[in-house]
Amino acid sequence: MPEGKLCNKQTVDTKEQLNALLADKSGKQYYQELKALDVDGDALWATLQKTCKSRLRTWLEICAHCGMCADSCYFYLANNKDPKQVPSYKIQSTLGELVKRKGQVDAAFMEHVMDVAWSQCSCCNRCGMYCPFGIDMGVMFGYLRGLCFSQGFVPWELKIGSGMHRIYRAQMDVTTEDWVETCEWMVEEYEDDWPKLEIPVDKPNADFIYTVNAREVKHYPEDLAEAAILFHIAGENWTVPSEGWEETSLAMFAGDWAACKMQVESVYDAMDRLKPKRMVVTECGHAYRATVIEGPYWAGLKNGQTPVESIHYVEWVAEALRSGKLKIDPSKRIKEPVTYQDSCNYIRNAGLKESAREIMSHIAEDFIEMKPCKEHNFCCGGGGGLNGIGRYREQRNIGLKVKRDQILATGAKLVVAPCHNCWDAIRDLEEIFHIGIRWSFLKPLLLKMVEVPEHLKPEE
Amino acid sequence: MFKKLLFATTASPVCDNAAKVAFDLELKWDAELILFHVLGVPTRGYSPFITDVRTGETEQIDNDYVDWVREEMKHTYADLLKDSENNRIEAVVGAPHREILRKARTENADMIIMGSHTREEDVGASRYRQIVGSTMQKVAKGARCPVVVISRPCTTCWKLFSNIVVGTDFSKAADSAFGWAYRLAKNVDARLHLFHAVDITKDAIGADHGQVEIETRLEEARDKIENHHLSKVTDYDNYTVEVWEGTPYVEILKFAREVQADLIVMAHHTREIDPEKALLGSTVEQVVLRSACPVASVNRPDKAWEIDPD
Repeated sequence: MPEGKLCNKQTVDTKEQLNALLADKSGKQYYQELKALDVDGDALWATLQKTCKSRLRTWLEICAHCGMCADSCYFYLANNKDPKQVPSYKIQSTLGELVKRKGQVDAAFMEHVMDVAWSQCSCCNRCGMYCPFGIDMGVMFGYLRGLCFSQGFVPWELKIGSGMHRIYRAQMDVTTEDWVETCEWMVEEYEDDWPKLEIPVDKPNADFIYTVNAREVKHYPEDLAEAAILFHIAGENWTVPSEGWEETSLAMFAGDWAACKMQVESVYDAMDRLKPKRMVVTECGHAYRATVIEGPYWAGLKNGQTPVESIHYVEWVAEALRSGKLKIDPSKRIKEPVTYQDSCNYIRNAGLKESAREIMSHIAEDFIEMKPCKEHNFCCGGGGGLNGIGRYREQRNIGLKVKRDQILATGAKLVVAPCHNCWDAIRDLEEIFHIGIRWSFLKPLLLKMVEVPEHLKPEE
Repeated sequence: MFKKLLFATTASPVCDNAAKVAFDLELKWDAELILFHVLGVPTRGYSPFITDVRTGETEQIDNDYVDWVREEMKHTYADLLKDSENNRIEAVVGAPHREILRKARTENADMIIMGSHTREEDVGASRYRQIVGSTMQKVAKGARCPVVVISRPCTTCWKLFSNIVVGTDFSKAADSAFGWAYRLAKNVDARLHLFHAVDITKDAIGADHGQVEIETRLEEARDKIENHHLSKVTDYDNYTVEVWEGTPYVEILKFAREVQADLIVMAHHTREIDPEKALLGSTVEQVVLRSACPVASVNRPDKAWEIDPD
């Protein structure tokens, strides 16, 4: 059974494997090997029998091919209503076929399945809201990605990503030492302006632990400093765990369920160890979905809840503004028209739309909703790992048109985007289409307008 | 005084003038010079893509690409490298200001040398203005060691500096700026010019000022220089004190021109978080953009008051 040196059914569990993959620029050799990768049809069928259970089987069977899901899909809209982009077609022609053929398919078919699963669906779950039967093609594609991963048919970047989680318990090569050192560094850099600023590490029994996205630590540690400053201003009793600080899950995008479990368990262990009252997650969409919404099931927690209550950053901000822990200087509110990018993962899939509106009512004078918005909003165009996959750059860029037109229709030049993927997709669409917009996370905006209590200001 | 120098370069002509000074310092001080280039800005979310700071193009990063950039840097600085004795060439991926600060911290650099990074012809700067355009400002704000910014040709070699101007506003950061300037002046036997500008722009106070008030403030500033700074000066008398009134950045530039300054030393401290606003609002930025001589920004005491073994 031919298995590639780089592209194979093995999971990436060692640094040697990881480095070999990383050295293969753009996955050139990897994708070549993928073409010759054997499909273990029996194993695939066994997995299907074991895991493709009543809900998914029913969905596959009751789909009436009515086409109501077509207009709900931004890929369909952005690709001139190409029938091949209708969600029901996309899933029937992939997962549906795998079931029909009892897993007996060849590498060319699996490559096609992979391409559809990662470049024609970002698992935004919008279609599920419009299907008269409530069939959620996003959920099914998530499942299908797991099947692809088990057979080694997964985009190069996501094979690397899931390996990172397996090796580092983070999506990037950030070690515990790097992380703790970065916390110290940020305090050092900002304490002149913010006397007594702290990023407490491993403090037991705090009101909450704060968890982040590894890219913040690796490339954008200001984000961590800004979070610390806002907690400092709000007078919070908080901490970060030295281990179990990473919220994101490329393993989820990859369909590597075993790695998903490892990753969220590192966070849950931190909760057990430090016994905080709650957890606050940074401004990231899929991280929240992975660790708070899906994670408990991966970890086998039957009640579907994280060990301690977990809230998204927008919930913390809304709460802090409501309770007066953070006060906005009215003269510094955003005066220009501004819109908000509802992240699929914590708005549609976790119901946090009102927190976002509450924040906007405090910080903006001319807030303009996108149409549609809230749980009906379109994906930014980069979700589900799509931003990170070179092979599908072109397809991604076409999909961005829908978000571009939505933003243009608001007339706003500023987009609040409290999600790393949305932030990137919106930045990229500006780079491609030059529509003259700016975009921001919440933290830098809040820091510009929040009232600083006298006792926290530096002397001089 | 300088054992390790960090030359943070865009590896483009914008930094040519700074490069000459950096290599000059390496030789004159027997220091180690690190040529450091942040070649590409990564995305915020997961992806292998970076935006190359020189071309503005999207690239996929790997070790070959980094090696290739390092080779290019060798070509760019081939002439200067010929005489260099102790250097390292490094290129990394990241947000430029962040990686420069990280490098300075891990290497415990004695000084960061850079170009102003803000010129329009720098493709990366105009395309990625929100990140690259404010690199110099963010580095100056965050660094624990002095940051020397060179935007125009520097005709005098550092060791032959004869006039060093230090601008003070009596802040804690200005103490560090003064400390470092004093140490340097002693080291190279230059004349130290202590300068303060009384800010009489309307914005500062909100009203016009009478002559009497201005003169009172000038007098107060002179006293402050005496008590605050000169009290720390021992066994050195090659200095002058000047207090002028006006718009601070204009006055310091005028004064530097008058005394033919080889270097201006100032503190960079602004609480303004928005880089665009701080870029326009802070005195040191204005001075950097307009000064004919190098400008050193010193914010923190770490490298300022150390006892010199020499």
